[in-house]
Amino acid sequence: MKSNAMQSIGQDAGSSAQTEPPAATILLIEDERVTRTSMAARLTRLGYRVLEAENGLVGLDVARRERPDLLIVDWMMPEMDGPTFCEAVRRDPLLKSSQTLLMTAHDKPAQIAEGLARGADDFLSKSASKQEIVARVLAGLRTSRLVRKLETTGSQLESSMRLLQTKQAEMEADLQSAADFVQSILPAQGSPVQGISLAWEYQPALTLGGDLFGVASIDAEHLGLYILDASGHGVAAALRSASLMTFLRVEHMLQLIGSYDPEKVLFEANRRFPLSDEGEYFTLWVGQLHLPTRSLSYASAGHHGVLHSPAEKPSRWLTHPSSPLGFDPAAVFPGGRMTLQPTDRLFLMSDGIYEASSPTGEPWGRWRFQQAIETQKRSPLASTISHCFTEARRWQEQCDFFDDAAVVGLELTI
Amino acid sequence: MKIKERTSPQGIILDLEGDLTYANQAVFKAAVEKAKQAGCRHLIVNMEQVRFVDSAGLGLLVLVSQSFKRLQAQVSMLKPQSYVREIMSLANIPKMIPIYENENDALVARAA
Repeated sequence: MKSNAMQSIGQDAGSSAQTEPPAATILLIEDERVTRTSMAARLTRLGYRVLEAENGLVGLDVARRERPDLLIVDWMMPEMDGPTFCEAVRRDPLLKSSQTLLMTAHDKPAQIAEGLARGADDFLSKSASKQEIVARVLAGLRTSRLVRKLETTGSQLESSMRLLQTKQAEMEADLQSAADFVQSILPAQGSPVQGISLAWEYQPALTLGGDLFGVASIDAEHLGLYILDASGHGVAAALRSASLMTFLRVEHMLQLIGSYDPEKVLFEANRRFPLSDEGEYFTLWVGQLHLPTRSLSYASAGHHGVLHSPAEKPSRWLTHPSSPLGFDPAAVFPGGRMTLQPTDRLFLMSDGIYEASSPTGEPWGRWRFQQAIETQKRSPLASTISHCFTEARRWQEQCDFFDDAAVVGLELTI
Repeated sequence: MKIKERTSPQGIILDLEGDLTYANQAVFKAAVEKAKQAGCRHLIVNMEQVRFVDSAGLGLLVLVSQSFKRLQAQVSMLKPQSYVREIMSLANIPKMIPIYENENDALVARAA
C-alpha cells in the first residue's frame, strides 16, 4: 500500500475554473490508479492543487496533514470504503466540517441516501461530464469556504468572549471592592452615642450607588446627621456623592463655618456643588440634635424623605418645598426645629424606596411607606426598616430597586 | 418618550409623551437644542402626557431653564399631572419654571 500522497499542481486550464481561486486544494481518494490519475488530471487542468490517496486510511492521514478544501472519495475501496471514510471524517474533530464528495458509479436513490446519512455532502458520478464535475466541485469549495469562515469567526468570537468575560470579572471585582469600601464608611449600626439607637438598610440600584448618609458626634452634646442623594446612580453618582460626603465631614464643617448649623451647611453646600453641565445635582437633608434637650434643628435642600415617628402619635413628614443643591445659586434653606421625645423615631430615606413602582407603573409612595412605619411602631427599629424594604419589594414584585434605596432609622432610647 | 414640536409666533411648544427620565434624556435634549437653534425665545414644555419624572429628568428641566435664562429666553411648563406636579412643587421648580394650565395663558404670559 502506498503511504505517500501524490500531488499535482494544476496550470490555469480553462474557463470552467475561472470562478474559483486556483489555490484551492482537493484531496482525491480512489483506489483505481487509472481513474484516480484521470480525475486528478482533470482537476489539475481546472486549476486546482490536487492531492491523491489510494485508500481511505491514507486519505485520512493526508487530510489531517494537509487540510484540503475539498475531499473527493470513491465509494468502493478496499480497507476503508467511501462511506466509512465519510463517517471517520465526521468523527474527527480536525476534519469534521470538511466538505466531502462521494464518487460512485451508480446513482440509485437508496445509495445516495446511505451516503448522505453516513456523512457525504454531495455526490459525483464517475461518468459525470466535465461541466458537472466543475459545478459540483465549485459548489463544494464554496461551501467549504463558508464553513471555514464560520469556523474562524466562531473561534475569534470565542476568544473575544473569553477576554470580555475576564475583563468583566475584573471590573466587577473592582466595583465590589469599591462598594465594600462605601459600606465600610457608613455609620456603624447600634448606638452612636448614649441614648440613640441607629439602624439602616441600603440597597444600591447597581453595585455602587449615589445615596450616602452620616451620623456623627459634633461635640459632647451634639449629634450631626445627614442623608444625601445624587441624581442618577452607578459609579458616576457614587463618586459625586463621595465628594459631597467629604465636604460634609464634621471636621471640615467646623473648620469652614464653625458649626454644623443645618441652614449654614446647606448654604455652603449649595455654593460648592452647582448643577453640573449634565444636569446632575444632589438633594440633601441635614440635622443637628442637641442631646441634652433632644432639640432637633434641620434643613433640607430638595430632600423630602424624612419622617418623624413618635411612639404614641401619628408620624409626620418633615418636609417643605426646597430646591435641591445647585438648582438656585441664590437659594436660602429655611430650617425647622422640633423637640424629640424619648422613644421617638426619625427615619431618613432616599426616594428610591418610596418611588419603587408596581408593574403597572404606580409608585409605592410616601403614604404607603408611612403606613409601613405606622404598623411597626412596636417592632425593633431594624425590623421596622426591614419591613419597609419587604413591603416595597412586594409592591414592585421584584427584589432589586430601580433607584438606590436607603432607609436610616434613629431612635431615642432615653 | 415621544416629542412633538409645534411652533407659534410666541414660542415653541414641545408636547412630551411618556416618562421624562435618564433613559429618555437624549431625546429631550435633542428637541430642546433644535428649539434653541431655531432661535426660540419661549419654550413651553407640555407635560400633560408625562406620567413620571425621575431625578435626571428634573435636573434636565432645570438645566434647560438655566440655559434659556442665560439667553434671556424663558421656559414654561404646561399641565403637569398630579404626581409630577407634586415632585415639581417639592423641588421649588415653579419658582424657576412657571406652570400654566392652558397653552394660551402660557403664550400670553411671555408675550406680556
